[in-house]
Amino acid sequence: MIRTAARYRLLALFVLPALAVYVLFSVYPLLSSVALSFMRSREHTFAGLDNYVRLFTDPFVSERFGTALLNSLEFFLIHLVVEVPIGLLMAALLTSSVIRRSRGVYRTILFVPATLSVVIVGFVWRLIINPLWGLVSFPLLGDATTALPTISLMSVWQYVGIPMIFLYTALLAVPEEVVEAARIDGAGPWTLFWRIKFPLIAPQFGLIAILTYIWTFNGFDIVYALGGSAPGPNYATDILGTMFYRTFFGSSGQVADPDLGATIATVVFAIILATTAAYFVVLQRRIKTYEL
Amino acid sequence: MRSTSQLRRRTATVLAAATLAAVGFGLAGCAGGDTPSGDEVTITLATWRTEDTTMWENDVIPVFEKSHPGIKVVYQPTDTNDYNATVQSSIAGGTGADLLMCRPFDVNRAWIADGYFDDLSGLDAVSNFTETALAAWAGDDGTPYCIPTASVLAGFYYNTAIFDELGLKVPETMDEFFDVLDAIKADGRYTPLALGSADGWQLAYNVLDSIGPNYWKGEEGRLGLIDGSKKLTDPEFVDAFQATADLIPYLPDGYQSLSYEDMMQLFTLGKAAILPDGSWDITGATATGIDVGVFAPPVVNAGDQRYLQEMPDQGIGLNAASEHKEAATEFLEWLGTPEFQSVYVNKLPGFFSMGNDPVSYDNALAQEFADLKDGALLTPRLALDRLSAGQPPLDDDTWAVLQTMFNEGVSAADATATLQEHLDSWYTPAG
Repeated sequence: MIRTAARYRLLALFVLPALAVYVLFSVYPLLSSVALSFMRSREHTFAGLDNYVRLFTDPFVSERFGTALLNSLEFFLIHLVVEVPIGLLMAALLTSSVIRRSRGVYRTILFVPATLSVVIVGFVWRLIINPLWGLVSFPLLGDATTALPTISLMSVWQYVGIPMIFLYTALLAVPEEVVEAARIDGAGPWTLFWRIKFPLIAPQFGLIAILTYIWTFNGFDIVYALGGSAPGPNYATDILGTMFYRTFFGSSGQVADPDLGATIATVVFAIILATTAAYFVVLQRRIKTYEL
Repeated sequence: MRSTSQLRRRTATVLAAATLAAVGFGLAGCAGGDTPSGDEVTITLATWRTEDTTMWENDVIPVFEKSHPGIKVVYQPTDTNDYNATVQSSIAGGTGADLLMCRPFDVNRAWIADGYFDDLSGLDAVSNFTETALAAWAGDDGTPYCIPTASVLAGFYYNTAIFDELGLKVPETMDEFFDVLDAIKADGRYTPLALGSADGWQLAYNVLDSIGPNYWKGEEGRLGLIDGSKKLTDPEFVDAFQATADLIPYLPDGYQSLSYEDMMQLFTLGKAAILPDGSWDITGATATGIDVGVFAPPVVNAGDQRYLQEMPDQGIGLNAASEHKEAATEFLEWLGTPEFQSVYVNKLPGFFSMGNDPVSYDNALAQEFADLKDGALLTPRLALDRLSAGQPPLDDDTWAVLQTMFNEGVSAADATATLQEHLDSWYTPAG
């Protein structure tokens, strides 16, 4: 073994570059954005909680924020409810012995959308569902009730490969002996999957759910690609990310308001932080992992 | 365990070397960017017109550089949606371009307030423009901060072959306009109006702000809203919103999700007779070789004064933090000359000079558009001046409210009442 002092030096050498980059590009901007939310930057004066009061009480701003928050929640729930089961199904199919020969091909095909540019995904799907030239005559993106689910499903289509890979690797890690033992005890494929494999991969779901949550609440790109910074119709697809962008940077018809934008960003950060912390405290500790 | 520790040490060395190399490259990159080349001054122009890059680089800038040896101009485009954000962060970071393309009205007013620009009142170029032309980029006291480069007009493109086939003639009043639309609809082969409501700005800029000025009498109505003597709930505004919504029966199926690009496709493929659009898309509208004409927004009653939307689109201002102000000022002076204006508008059909000197247009459709200005009183879009400087901005709000009219059948009276209520929540009339 290396001596302790040398070992720490070595560890520091590994950690420092990443830490420096992280502090410079993540921690510092985050803190300065939080600081900005307490300022009136045009007058360079301290504003206290004024920006927060405005965000939550101004009838117009708070209404938009409420809509964006609910839309983000919907965006997350659709991802969770649709993406995870489909990912599980795909992972189960990938590990089944039926396609053993072409497993690599399927795995690649299913994962390819996740590597595409969001702009391309948005553009292709917009053409596919276009009422003039596409497959459906109903204006899915133009109707306030269907627009957000439609965009969410496009995103699900793109990223379903991610939970699939998580679950696939977890399934591969299930020891062959356990499976064999269950088989000898007379378990069919259905029982084998739900009674043996599923409990063993269950901890993955918590991880996938929290990652999906963080990712969707920070979501921006697919909505922006399809609807711009004031995503319609009538803000029906406005999520926290687009509202922040529009407020902070301004749009062609709106003057930028960095203070209010930073306030939105801080609130979103707080929401994500609180939920994630609650998840780790309440749930993650209780998830049963089976000793093998 | 000796081999492992050796391996670790080697990995650590490689890692350290890689880090050093990366830092080194970064520094080299910084140093390499700023090479001076003799006495030549290089000035940069920040712009959102990515689509004009070739035109500026091949046709406009060389003409300037030829008559102004020693100055090199670099065109620095950013996508239009990201332009405001880019300018704001580059100015804040001290890396702003020497020359900045200016958004009209409120966005620019905010930039003026933040001290982005130098006062241009000392320039000769300023005297080549009327006060109205300069107004879109002037400070509250009328100080000019940007030299106007181009304006855009809006009107109705029509497929002349379809009009000839159905024996239709260009409508001059709103009644005639609806007769024409009815005739095309009755024939059944063509979509009367290539219009969708997926892009809210489309409904606002190319329909409401196009036919609307004939109802609210152009500047009279627009300035009336600004000084508070008029309300959006006044009959002339409600009628304009109603006229916009009256077009709904003539739109293609599924119009709720048709974007601007879809409308353009529909028209250029010859499947739709009329396209409400801005002059900036002359090249797109004629791209497939169909014969296209353009008509002005029809008046309400025969014999009424005609109004036409002329929207100040681009100006160019001087970054107050520029290190090459002398060269940049020379460029701004050049923008006021007929030399620049005739090169610019002819290389970019659909954009119109705002200067006092007359300019002729080589593109037939551009000339047709310019002719629409004869006998018409000009007025910019309704909501961009002052009325969009607070929350909610009237402009964005209009897009959204028009969408509710088109998609959910909200009435013109309710729509205008909502807008006025939102506007009253923050706007105190300037008058």
